[in-house]
Amino acid sequence: MTGLELVLASALRLSVPLLFAALGEWIAERAGALNVSLEGMMLAAAFGGYVGAVATGSSALGLLCAAATGLSVALAQSGMSYRLTVDANVVGLTLNVLVLGLTSYLPAPTEPVDVPHLTVPGLSALPVVGGALFDQPWPAYLLLGLAPALWWVGYRTRWGLELRACGDGPRAADASGVDVPRRRRQAVLVCGAFAGLGGGYLAVAEVGLFNPNMTAGRGYLVLAAVIFGGWTLRGTLAGCLLFGAADAMRLALPALGYQFNPQLLLATPYLLALLTMTVLARRGHGPAALGVPFRRGLT
Amino acid sequence: MRSFGRPVRAARGAEAPDADAPAVQLQGLTKRFGPVLACADVSMTVLRGRIHGLLGQNGAGKTTLMRMLAGLVRPDAGRILVAGRPVTVTDPATATALGIAMVHQHFSLVGRLRVWENVALGGRGRLDSRWTRREIGRVADGYGLLVDPDRRVDELTTSERQRVELVKCLIRAPQVLILDEPTSTLTPPEARHLLSVLRRVVSDESRAVVLISHDLDELAHAADEVTVMRDGAVLARRSAAEVDVGELGRLMVGDQLPAAVAAPAGEPREQVRLRIRDAWATQARRPVLRGLDLRVRAGEIVGVAGVEGSGQGALADLLSSLLPLDRGNVEVDGNPVPPGRPGAMQRAGVGVVPEDRHVSGCVLDMSVAENLAMTDLGPVSRWGFVSRGRLRQRAEATIREFAIGGASPDTPLRLLSGGNQQRVVLARELGAAASVLVVAQPTRGLDAAAVEHVFARIGGLAAQGVAVLLISSDLADIRRLAHRIVVLHRGAVVGELTQATADPQRLGLLLGGRPE
Repeated sequence: MTGLELVLASALRLSVPLLFAALGEWIAERAGALNVSLEGMMLAAAFGGYVGAVATGSSALGLLCAAATGLSVALAQSGMSYRLTVDANVVGLTLNVLVLGLTSYLPAPTEPVDVPHLTVPGLSALPVVGGALFDQPWPAYLLLGLAPALWWVGYRTRWGLELRACGDGPRAADASGVDVPRRRRQAVLVCGAFAGLGGGYLAVAEVGLFNPNMTAGRGYLVLAAVIFGGWTLRGTLAGCLLFGAADAMRLALPALGYQFNPQLLLATPYLLALLTMTVLARRGHGPAALGVPFRRGLT
Repeated sequence: MRSFGRPVRAARGAEAPDADAPAVQLQGLTKRFGPVLACADVSMTVLRGRIHGLLGQNGAGKTTLMRMLAGLVRPDAGRILVAGRPVTVTDPATATALGIAMVHQHFSLVGRLRVWENVALGGRGRLDSRWTRREIGRVADGYGLLVDPDRRVDELTTSERQRVELVKCLIRAPQVLILDEPTSTLTPPEARHLLSVLRRVVSDESRAVVLISHDLDELAHAADEVTVMRDGAVLARRSAAEVDVGELGRLMVGDQLPAAVAAPAGEPREQVRLRIRDAWATQARRPVLRGLDLRVRAGEIVGVAGVEGSGQGALADLLSSLLPLDRGNVEVDGNPVPPGRPGAMQRAGVGVVPEDRHVSGCVLDMSVAENLAMTDLGPVSRWGFVSRGRLRQRAEATIREFAIGGASPDTPLRLLSGGNQQRVVLARELGAAASVLVVAQPTRGLDAAAVEHVFARIGGLAAQGVAVLLISSDLADIRRLAHRIVVLHRGAVVGELTQATADPQRLGLLLGGRPE
């Protein structure tokens, strides 16, 4: 394997959990719901997914458990912030810390799980990109279906239209007869399921084990990726790939013989995220009502 | 199934809709927002095939009344009958299903979405862009309303947006169409076109239209019936035949203008302190000033009257350096001041007491003394440090002078009553004006004693040669204090009155946009 192949393969591998979670966060933010609890959703799902996979012996059921765990964190988030109207960011941060504590405390099994790779015959032998694109754990290929499906839901269905209206003009949506808090709750739940898949993929398919705090801020990286992508689906996914690549460099550079401070390398993806946000912040493409609580009757 | 709204579902046990019944009957509707009674036992009947005008000043309760009908506000008491059937309008979707559509003054379109998406919003079933575009074309052509379904609403002008809103309502084939101040941002030809469309809606299709307005001429020409509201209650109903514009104006303003108690303090001097020439400005894509001309001399108190959207707010923003001009200029003491540059007006000697001083004028968790000194620390500092002693001394003097009850300099502002919090901000801002003082809504939230005190202070400043601009929706304030009253309408001055010539009818006519 050449150095480039190595970097590419690990870039894509590291991007996959981010991509799953980003799909969910994108739809939630388009509805005006900023989910800081994305990190907690992913971490809880990594735990739930791994435990589920070990208990059932099936990686598919494990991923399903992961999605369910992500969904349960999302239930708490959406109920607290869009039924009881507690500040969504405070709820999110609290949930993150709670999940970190719980998953570190609860006993997890220690047997590794293994997910079969789906290797496309022929194509996987292509030089440079073959290994990266056509030899991945099978759940990664779910993205090929889920991403276009989510785009279609967001832009071609009434539900998606109502979601986007809730993010950009909640008062107008309300006056038109859209139940804004309800749509936002739904968007957060969808986000929870996707974040769950991302966290589950990380534990079950990528690492094969659960380690305390194994998401290590990936949820926050996804938040940055949505900003990087200017709240478009394409841009968001591109952001995930970029941050994944930065993460890959961290692992690949020492392996290729370059000597860097490992702590500094650990910080690269986040540094990159911060830089892109600084550059792109001025574009101001965010949904107009992102993170703004909505209450009926207040004008 | 695709549609633009939930179909009307007949309530079980209710009688079938009565074709002869009035389109809408409101019976005893009451709505209270905290201490404010927005609508008090309001009854009103809207007939099919008629344009029903709803006239009143700001805060008269017109919009609240119609928002109850549109399902945006739940009434505290009273009932609503649609086509003779009692209904409960819980939300806008229910209103749509009942055949009620409302064109709002603000916020009813999502700027980021395309026109067809906005029209489809609130509908049911599959989202079909081709069908929606075709339906938009059909309705738009039918009424002669030009709209392009594929443009983003952000890119549209005010009148284009309004056409979109109208199409959005008409496509749902409503039995009752409510329009809130539809013409306030339109040019006269655009307004005439809109009214002709409404006329077709009622005469050819025998629907009912409710037209909320404070433009007297418009109502006199366009409406078949007019209901006048004031202070949350219905004052009068007139049919088109018996409408007398002068009477409507008087009813809208009220007969209760107090006599001018005292002559305004001092005589205005010759020197012009504030001069605004041909000011044009837009805010959020709406034209807010259209050729405003204004002169205030030293020692003169000028009252600025106007209904909402007439430019009162924009004028205050302009003098707070918050509003850049598209055309025109502002001079203070003969020197041009760049409009919209942060702090420029303040540096030129313009002091502003903002309308929402309670929100934007103070920090509730800081002490009275700190709040009083906040904008100018010079007098309470020594060698660049705030001196606690001077801070307290000054605060004690101000508390005595303005009779700020229950306050010591160290009391956190939060612990004071609302009226006393206002006095703190007023005390600070009244002290700061050098050449021009702008006071917005001076009596809002103050008790009678505080009002007297504030008026005396304003009079005193004028006597010292400050030019005072009194922007108020309370005509009584203006009448009592101002040498001269200018009335704004659609972003320009429509007329000017003196204390002697200001009677309810004249004021009402001017407020309604009828120069004499």
